[in-house]
Amino acid sequence: MSVTSASAEVATAALAGEGLDEHGIRYKLLHTWRGRFGIGVLGLFLFLAVFGSLIAPDDPNASSLDVLASPSFAHPLGTTEQGADVFSQLLVGARVSIVVGFAAAFISAVLGSTVGLVGGYFGGWTDRLLDGLENWFLVIPTLPLMIVLARLLDPSLGVLIVVIGFTSWAGTGRIVRAQVFTLRERAFVERARALGAKDSYIIRTHILPNTMPLIFANTVLIVAVAILSEAALAFLGLGDPTRISWGTMLENAFNSGAPSAGAWWYVIPPGLCITLLVLAVSLLGYLFEEHVNPRLREANA
Amino acid sequence: MSGRWLAGKAGAAMLTLIFVIIFNFFLFRVMGDPTTQLARLPNSSPEEIEKLRADYGIDKPLSGQFLDYAGDTVRLDFGVSQRSREEVWDEMKAALPWTLLLVGTGTVLATLIGSWMGVIAATRRGKKTDDSLLGFSLLTYAAPEYWIGIILILVFAVAAPILPAGQQVTPGVEFSSWISEALSVAEHMILPVTAMTLMLLGQYFLIMRSSMVDVLTEDFITVKRAIGLSHEQVIRRHAVPNALLPLVTLSAIQFGAVVGGAITIETVFSWPGLGELSFNAINDKDFPVLAGTFLVFSAGVILANLAADILYFFLDPRVQAR
Amino acid sequence: MASTRGPRGHRGLIAAVAALVAALALIGVVALPAAAQDSGGSGDTSTETTATTADDSGDAVLRIGWAQDPQTLNPFVALDEENYNVWALNWDLLVNFSAEDLSPAPGIAESWEVSEDRKTVTFKLDPNRNWSDGEPITSKDVKFSLETLGKEGDLFAGYTSNVTKIETPDDETVVITTKQPDARIVGGLFIYMLPEHIWGKVPIDELTGSYQPELPLVGSGPYVLTEFSRGRIIRMERNPEWQGPEPAFSEVQYIKYGNQDAVERALRLGEVDMVVEVDPSTFERLESDPNIETLSSPSPSYTQLAFNLCPDDLCPDAQFNPAVQDVAVRQALAYAVDRDKVNAISARGTAFPGSGILPSFYEAFYEVPEQNYPLDVELAKQILDDAGWVDNGDNPRTKDGEELSFDLAVRSESPTNIQAAKLVAEQAAEIGIEFNVDVVSVDKLTEMTIRKVDGKPAPEFDTFIWGWGGDPYDPSFLMSLLTTDEIGGLSDGFYSNPEYDALYTEQAGIFDTAERKSLIQEMVALTQEDVAYLVLTEDPNLQAYRTDRIQGIEPSCPSDGGDLICEQVSYEPLLTIEPATGSSASSSDDGGGSAGVLIGIAAVVVIGGGLLFWRSRKKKSDEPLEMEE
Repeated sequence: MSVTSASAEVATAALAGEGLDEHGIRYKLLHTWRGRFGIGVLGLFLFLAVFGSLIAPDDPNASSLDVLASPSFAHPLGTTEQGADVFSQLLVGARVSIVVGFAAAFISAVLGSTVGLVGGYFGGWTDRLLDGLENWFLVIPTLPLMIVLARLLDPSLGVLIVVIGFTSWAGTGRIVRAQVFTLRERAFVERARALGAKDSYIIRTHILPNTMPLIFANTVLIVAVAILSEAALAFLGLGDPTRISWGTMLENAFNSGAPSAGAWWYVIPPGLCITLLVLAVSLLGYLFEEHVNPRLREANA
Repeated sequence: MSGRWLAGKAGAAMLTLIFVIIFNFFLFRVMGDPTTQLARLPNSSPEEIEKLRADYGIDKPLSGQFLDYAGDTVRLDFGVSQRSREEVWDEMKAALPWTLLLVGTGTVLATLIGSWMGVIAATRRGKKTDDSLLGFSLLTYAAPEYWIGIILILVFAVAAPILPAGQQVTPGVEFSSWISEALSVAEHMILPVTAMTLMLLGQYFLIMRSSMVDVLTEDFITVKRAIGLSHEQVIRRHAVPNALLPLVTLSAIQFGAVVGGAITIETVFSWPGLGELSFNAINDKDFPVLAGTFLVFSAGVILANLAADILYFFLDPRVQAR
Repeated sequence: MASTRGPRGHRGLIAAVAALVAALALIGVVALPAAAQDSGGSGDTSTETTATTADDSGDAVLRIGWAQDPQTLNPFVALDEENYNVWALNWDLLVNFSAEDLSPAPGIAESWEVSEDRKTVTFKLDPNRNWSDGEPITSKDVKFSLETLGKEGDLFAGYTSNVTKIETPDDETVVITTKQPDARIVGGLFIYMLPEHIWGKVPIDELTGSYQPELPLVGSGPYVLTEFSRGRIIRMERNPEWQGPEPAFSEVQYIKYGNQDAVERALRLGEVDMVVEVDPSTFERLESDPNIETLSSPSPSYTQLAFNLCPDDLCPDAQFNPAVQDVAVRQALAYAVDRDKVNAISARGTAFPGSGILPSFYEAFYEVPEQNYPLDVELAKQILDDAGWVDNGDNPRTKDGEELSFDLAVRSESPTNIQAAKLVAEQAAEIGIEFNVDVVSVDKLTEMTIRKVDGKPAPEFDTFIWGWGGDPYDPSFLMSLLTTDEIGGLSDGFYSNPEYDALYTEQAGIFDTAERKSLIQEMVALTQEDVAYLVLTEDPNLQAYRTDRIQGIEPSCPSDGGDLICEQVSYEPLLTIEPATGSSASSSDDGGGSAGVLIGIAAVVVIGGGLLFWRSRKKKSDEPLEMEE
């Protein structure tokens, strides 16, 4: 479930296009298939996250006696084991994935950057300690950790966001730390220090702006991981019981015997949505990574 | 790199493991105090609760409790499952081989197939084959592995019922020999291993492709070609073996993701491994089992990383050149 | 990336891969036989079963599938209701339940006599009965079981609460004396009779700790448990010392599947003959199969909407909306909630509409209550109007600063309950009562109900939905839930009515069914008037079996409206069912494996062939290396 920076780099390089160096990020977003697909799909799901409940044809929570019915005019994607409309649930489920994905990634970014900045800038024992902490979080298998924390804290939307954010920050931390190391020795930083600037000032005006692009690109990839994590936790029964998400749809489908009943209309769409959303976010992430880190581009023969 | 480096890595691994134990302790003893759970029984008197606390050793100060906990862990005493009253270690011991079987087979297959795909893609870089393989591996990365598992069930166990949809053997059947039992296991393994392989495929494909591309563009290849080796010989004897090295280390590093996949795939297929054990413990809120499996998973990942370091130490040609 | 190369790196890698494959093979060889034994358990917990293949001398195997299995066999610590399925076949009670009508029938005790003052019951045992290991069954076993299991077993505590002494003047006689007359001594001592010569030798600490009984599980019933592989299978074989009619099935197997889905598949495919505890959604699908017969029968359990009725003197610190204690509000609610609809939607029509606190299952004591609150929305509104609750249109009704807006807590673990909660809220809204459905974990809900302040109960809820299950014959347990005595104990509605309490104490000591029934009916009438609980549905027992495998099944427990095999309650039906004529008794073939493996092998061959093909193609093009761009 974890995106190691190694494989992210490799994926970015593999997908990198040629001749894009001279162009800005906007060009890359709008003129590559990765960018277009990413923006299009992400845009669609963002729209659903906001307006999904308004445009859903039926109440996604409404139950009826028409259970696990195959697709029809009334129910284009059939019904669930409670007789609810699958299509409506699908539209409404986007919100949880988007909200948890972005919020958890945001928390992860803040945590990771802070640790990376502080450790990288101040060095010494602080850094060793934080680095050790970082390594620990990198090594520990994330899903079991999330499971343990979510179970202890009784799952809800907020708990999920915190738990996922809290377990995913180490990757960002490492990247930020490496960047801060290189920046720290640069001339303009030395000059600023010689002039008597405070550490916080230096961090804020010199280090941070130069690190932001890196953080941003990496965070986008973390969004993808967060979305997958939320879905996995929901599937295992640790999702927010009061909300519909694609993960809980898969959970309910599986637990109620939808596969045995051959209810492909209930099983395929939620997973497909997760796949598309994760794909879109990942492609955008690789695009940003490539833009921010030109050395990741493959050498031409 | 030297023996000292290796010793350093081993030491770091040990330290990480210790921190896992400390973490477990705080998480479960302090946050998930078992007596708060038991105190929910309506008829517990304060004296009974006190007795329970003494039994669990919770009336001691925190440091004493931790020493008890650490000592227990080292002796492989993870307590007793709240649900089945079995030793947690016994339950995990029985489940572990099944997880290893699933994960091991999946990893090997993913490595083989992924590398093979990576080689093909690298030698056809930029062409349609490369693009489609890239797309395929991206898809398998983005798709939730349990969803793939459910679809496999839909297609191969329900729509065209040729493969079993769960468990490791056909239940209730008496096997005339261990061979027929092994065959039954093999049959039941097909779908879960497929799901696991698909999940891991993408990473190996990407890494292999990337290192192949790097290696293929090295100058020496041109030299070898100039000498007169065939295309195929160059790829087979030189490019591939060297590109495989990072793959080995990747296998270990991916263990974290593998663990996550094991949990969800075992749940989907009712595969009796550590993943399913964890899943049941989630539903039962069986904290001793959750703590035990978390420890084992973490230890597994730490050990796998260490093994990768060791392997790298022995395989890195730079070391050979010493 | 490594930039030097050489054959050494290559060889090393091959070695690594070979080592990995070898390790896997080793695991496979070690794990399979190991896992084939029962997993876990201290000591040897399995015996080699002798001839159990189906075709030996016409011995037939009854295979029952389920999705949940018991975690331990030890009755002192077990908490799963699935345990009863196997215990009921293995052990007798002192007084069994008749499969005909659940009334007291001979168990370990052949006969019994109630004294004049009804405070002493003398039981006579059959002198010729033995345990399955040949030891005689004596009064010592009865005394031990009642005293030890009846005290220490979580599921069995409480039945002997009135018992003052148990005497055993001789091997065949047990005399039980109680503080006051207690009808449960004859109809409701749901405590299994265990062999004292085995269980009595184990220290109590161990019994209530991690003790796992040895197999075969020595017992007095027609079957004894011979194999327990948790998560896989439970085998029970004929008890060699069983003296009753010989059951047609020589073996009963309970086979565990991953989930309901898998169980359904197994029944359809004929892997099992019967399924107990079917899911409502699976139930409907099974009905459509021509070879499968399904049955939904009442059980002694219900789902109810509970209210916080705690009087101020008993719960001074309780937190709730006081309007919930206005009986008019509850009565109006009872008229407004369509219990048939709740059943139809939340239970998919497989349950039974509720009719008061005594489920219809208790045939000996049940009658449809006079005041059964038929659906009448207009009347509901009328009652609220008359009580002074002002109709505010879409907003909840109000009166003197109070508002009819309540929290409705419901367990997240039960989709059925959540469904029911939503329906209640929907229907209550029509008469101006607002329910805010609050989905919480079962732990949280428990906390809300058992919350205490300064040692006194201080429940923190307005209403919630949950359920209760009672014993097969004696309704004491269910009735006790609404007594004042249970406040601070099991009472979660905190109903307190001295009249009800008095009646309860009285009926507890009446052994005569008819007399007891009228008292119980009075109690029901009181709770109906007060709407102590609004019982929404009576939970069903859902089962299914293959008609081409089993014949002779008659519903029992009770015989009009009971379940297929009187599961968890009596082994009697198993003495009369038999394999369907012409059916191949459950096969034990393992041939099903070959098809899938062949496909697997074929796949490997295809992939391997493809690989070879690709390589051979490359061989042909032995031209200068061109980096394909």
